[in-house]
Amino acid sequence: MSKARANFSLRKVSVGLLVALVWILARPPVAFPEQKSLKEEFQVLPGEVGRSGGRLVVSLRAEPKTLNPLIATDANSNEVIGAMHADLVHINRATQLTEPALAKSWKISRDGLQYTLVLRGGLKFSDGYPLDVDDVLFTFRVYLDERVHAPQRDLLIFDGKPITLRKVDSQTIVFQLPKPYGVGERMFDGWAILPKHLLEKPYEEGKIGQLGTLSTAANQWAGLGPFRLKEYVAGQRLVLERNPYYWKTDAKGNRLPYLDELVFLFVPSADAQVLRFQSGETDLISRLSAENFSVLSREQNNHRMVDAGPGLEYHFLFLNLNDPGEKTPADLLQKQKWFRDVKFRQAVSVAIDREAIVRLVYQGRGSALWGLVTPGDRRWRDEKLPHPARSLERSRALLKEAGFSWTTASNGESTLIDSTSKPVEFSIITKSSNADLTKMTALIQDDLKQLGMRVQVVPLESRSLLDRVTQTREYDAGVLGIASFDADPNSDINVWLSSGGLHLWNPSQTHPATPWEAEIDRLFNAQMYTRTFEERKKLYDQMQEILWDHQPMIFLASPDILTGARKAVGNFHPAVLEPYVLWNVEQLYLRNAAVSASR
Amino acid sequence: MKGKRVISNWIVLLALHAIVILAGFFAPYDPTEQDRKNPYLPPMRIHFVDAQGHFHARPFVYELQLREGSYDQYQENAARALPLQFFVQGEHYRLLGFVPSHWHLFGAKNERIYLLGSDSYGRDQLSRFLYGGQVSLFAGLLGAGITLFLGLGVGALAGFYGGWRDDLLMRLAEFFLALPWLYLLLALRAFLPLAVSPLQAFFLIIAVLGAVGWARPARLVRGVVLSAKQRDFVRAARGFGATGGYLMRRHILPEASSVLLTQAAILVPQFVLAEMTLSFLGLGVPEPVPSWGNLLSSLQQYSVLVSYWWMYLPALMMVPFFLGYLGLGAGCSSTESRTR
Amino acid sequence: MPYLLRRFGHAVFLLIGVSVLAFVFTVLAPGNYFDEMRLNPQIAPETISALRTRYELDRPLPIRYAHWIGSVLHGDMGFSFAYNSPVAPLLLVRARNTLLLTLTAMLLAWGIALPLGIWSAEHQGGVPDRLVSSGTAALMVIPDLALALGFLVLAVKSGWFPTGGMVSLHFDGLSFLGKIRDLLLHMALPVAALVLSVLPLLIRHVRAAVEQVLDAPFLLAAEGHGIPRRTLLYRFALRAASNPLISLFGFSVGTLLSGSLLVEVVMSWPGLGPFLLEAILARDLYVVIGGVLLSTLFLVGGNFLADLLLYWADPRIRTEART
Repeated sequence: MSKARANFSLRKVSVGLLVALVWILARPPVAFPEQKSLKEEFQVLPGEVGRSGGRLVVSLRAEPKTLNPLIATDANSNEVIGAMHADLVHINRATQLTEPALAKSWKISRDGLQYTLVLRGGLKFSDGYPLDVDDVLFTFRVYLDERVHAPQRDLLIFDGKPITLRKVDSQTIVFQLPKPYGVGERMFDGWAILPKHLLEKPYEEGKIGQLGTLSTAANQWAGLGPFRLKEYVAGQRLVLERNPYYWKTDAKGNRLPYLDELVFLFVPSADAQVLRFQSGETDLISRLSAENFSVLSREQNNHRMVDAGPGLEYHFLFLNLNDPGEKTPADLLQKQKWFRDVKFRQAVSVAIDREAIVRLVYQGRGSALWGLVTPGDRRWRDEKLPHPARSLERSRALLKEAGFSWTTASNGESTLIDSTSKPVEFSIITKSSNADLTKMTALIQDDLKQLGMRVQVVPLESRSLLDRVTQTREYDAGVLGIASFDADPNSDINVWLSSGGLHLWNPSQTHPATPWEAEIDRLFNAQMYTRTFEERKKLYDQMQEILWDHQPMIFLASPDILTGARKAVGNFHPAVLEPYVLWNVEQLYLRNAAVSASR
Repeated sequence: MKGKRVISNWIVLLALHAIVILAGFFAPYDPTEQDRKNPYLPPMRIHFVDAQGHFHARPFVYELQLREGSYDQYQENAARALPLQFFVQGEHYRLLGFVPSHWHLFGAKNERIYLLGSDSYGRDQLSRFLYGGQVSLFAGLLGAGITLFLGLGVGALAGFYGGWRDDLLMRLAEFFLALPWLYLLLALRAFLPLAVSPLQAFFLIIAVLGAVGWARPARLVRGVVLSAKQRDFVRAARGFGATGGYLMRRHILPEASSVLLTQAAILVPQFVLAEMTLSFLGLGVPEPVPSWGNLLSSLQQYSVLVSYWWMYLPALMMVPFFLGYLGLGAGCSSTESRTR
Repeated sequence: MPYLLRRFGHAVFLLIGVSVLAFVFTVLAPGNYFDEMRLNPQIAPETISALRTRYELDRPLPIRYAHWIGSVLHGDMGFSFAYNSPVAPLLLVRARNTLLLTLTAMLLAWGIALPLGIWSAEHQGGVPDRLVSSGTAALMVIPDLALALGFLVLAVKSGWFPTGGMVSLHFDGLSFLGKIRDLLLHMALPVAALVLSVLPLLIRHVRAAVEQVLDAPFLLAAEGHGIPRRTLLYRFALRAASNPLISLFGFSVGTLLSGSLLVEVVMSWPGLGPFLLEAILARDLYVVIGGVLLSTLFLVGGNFLADLLLYWADPRIRTEART
């Protein structure tokens, strides 16, 4: 039975391929200028050979806002854009290592300043127009253009000097860096190569930022990704179709992707996403909460739930260490006296029950954290970082050393007071929309109550919170989470550097406020321009240890990446890097394509 | 007959409120105390007959144990019976906010018992329900009171005087209905220093919500007043030289009372529920303070809805309260119509 | 006619007032759309300030307001930062979907509330009254969201209804009748959730209003004349009790656009709900202001309708209006 089906599927695949081939051959060559007879240089992907056809449905929490990689900043747009565009060198989300993509090979000069990339030959955009080096030149010209306001532009600037590009021949291009860059070829990941033939005119008219709205006509948009635009229905769905010119094949030589269509449904509530997945209306699900994951795991008849392991998201508590300006309220100044004492911070850190956070917030599907690098980031983790267990005694001892003491009220409640007999009380702000964060904060509140600290939980709506932390800076402490986008130190640059906007305890400093922050700055910059992994790792470990010693961020926990798929989805291998389940969308296939198509 | 029903309704309602006000005594535990080993513990069943078939006059519960390797699956441990004790000493609290006491209606020796189960932090749901009622009923009555007071005033003025005053007030009402208050509340929260306790901030926000919500009852009252002042007996009274205030008090407002009481009966639960929306925007009652709103909002999570049936119980227990308010509305309007 | 003109003038005045205050409120609320970008390590602060300048967030309020009014006159209603496009088309297509849902729900809710309320008033204190009372009290404590979620759970378990959305993926391939069937199936659950969430309020008011007039002398007289009970209740009692109900009906019309926000979010109905909620949280302020204005239009319309109906239904008010 299974053999017969396998035979059948094979035949179907080859028929499909034949049809595609005939169709490509039948296209009139006059359609394109200077049609070269370059052979298509496919990338062959290892892994299970699937079957063609069918439609895969996934849900998005919100509508994507744009299809334009130049202006996209939100996760939903990026998820869609990821399926429609391709980059020169790609980070494999499973191995966390680089692999060739549009560039079939690259060479780095000895001084680390020149990257020579060779494009695959015979590639075409999803509208059939051939790709060449000019498209790459155009792409980076646009990204670097200040008037375009591309959000990623900063990544192409080194010490104020931009990266420059030089065309060698129609397939070879040289990137010239002003300084050697430790990240190496990883920096090419995520730069969607744009079609010059479609975008050059609007770019010159200064309108490129207005392109790529969701109502863009399908034939006005093209990319090099596995799928291309088909249809958008406002508020409901975005439909992508197979890119017939895609440049990857499976081990048997079948052109990818397998799927005919990729449908993004807009389902604004996380719970509704779960229900839709449960009813079989969507095929994949990711970004699950632990609670919903266990509900789905309980009845695993039609779907397979996968805990992909710890991700790159880290949650932490931070105390307000901003420079006291003239406007700082006296009340906050008083509290900052405690916060600035490293012993106080260490006492708080060791009093927090991280094990309870992992168990009660993540139902055990997460890991306790003592440093910024999560267990999900396998290569960069500092194994030497201490992992002390919770100890109220140790905490009390630290507080005593720092000059704090306790008074006991008539009803037996003890209160922590500082050397001037002021009771220690402060508030912790957190995001009201994130139940995990609120829960963590409530646990911390209870942990600290046992030390005699009176802590109030103040959930704030996200913008109000950001405003307080980064603008007015009027808060005592906060609990937040950050997700690194790549397993490389540089993706957390804004957290590490004292000038960074995410250096939350004291963001955007003009000069490092403390010697240890200056030291972190120095180490970070050193690793950025160091070339071997081993040396960078050593520097990075040092930074993590400094952070541990001074505890400006008190790390709490990191959740696992929880995903699921219908059993019919083949090649489902979720990764802990985004996009968790769609990173290998070109290889995903439906075991029983006919059933799914009729749905 | 009707009068009797109204009275018994009043008695029940007062008794319910008394239980909530004296929550410290009726609740076995501090509502914020976490029992991290027992998250989502189902309600313990009260037994009179033990596993051996013996009858006990003193009710007891069996200890619940977490199943090996699970996060929220428990089983009864028949070897450990926990007899229920009445009038026990327990945690300290302040009755009515100032009488210190540590007597509780019931409890068990050395062990925590959960008659309504526990929440995700292992906190006693029964205690949270009772204490939460203090916050939420106060918020509900405060919000509804302010709204109705303003609504009645404006509606009566607009309806009684009519003409340009009516026009002006009703346009003002539309204005108030149309404005995006959520944004104002967000702004308000931002201007409040964090040092203001979150609970005070919440009551302030409820008061503001109450103050801006007058437009609806005002329109309802105005409609009724418009009609009432043209009634024969009102015109007659006016003919006898009754003053506006007298007419309003004696004849017109009683007409509006039915509408008002119905509004009140609906507004109180609405203000209790409004907290859930407010929480979403960070304007609600924050952890760990219990409130009915945050008890109900756990029902809005799919996983809770399908996994932990006892989380519905607080909602069920709120029904008699709200029925009581509805009864007041119905009762009063029928006494009105009888006396007329 | 002059009355109509006056009301129209008021409406314009109101819209301007609401838009001004909406502007002020959105400025007072902390944070702005581009704040979230600060958390993105890839985005340089200079880029954010450049964007702020480009979208005039740093300009004084009156200038922004003037520009916005200009844009309204062009039919754009401002610009959505998030969607990088004019607000009006974004709003209109979603408003249509919302109206489809809420109009149906409103008609259905009134259709259920009137007979139930009258029935319960007629049997004051009896079994039907108690049933209806407990039912409404129970409905009042169930949060809208939980109600909607419950319905979705039902849909998953039974398989009778789709779990959200407005149409199926294969909608375009269906026949005309098939399309209607598909749409109705998708509408069933959100409509039910909406109806159940407004029902307690409507029933209570209908009951209270009818109860108040039931022992009025004219009804007793009519009963004495042998007019059938049904005619009595629905023709005379209801009409006499209609005053507060008409005001209430006005509100129902007024909240057509804004009343289904949360249900739409849970049921993934492609209406204004999810769209506006996201805009509010993201501070996409022209979208929010546009949404507010659109609902204000409905509010004004609803109240106007209510006033007209009041004059029509209540002869006493008519006499006063003439004097």
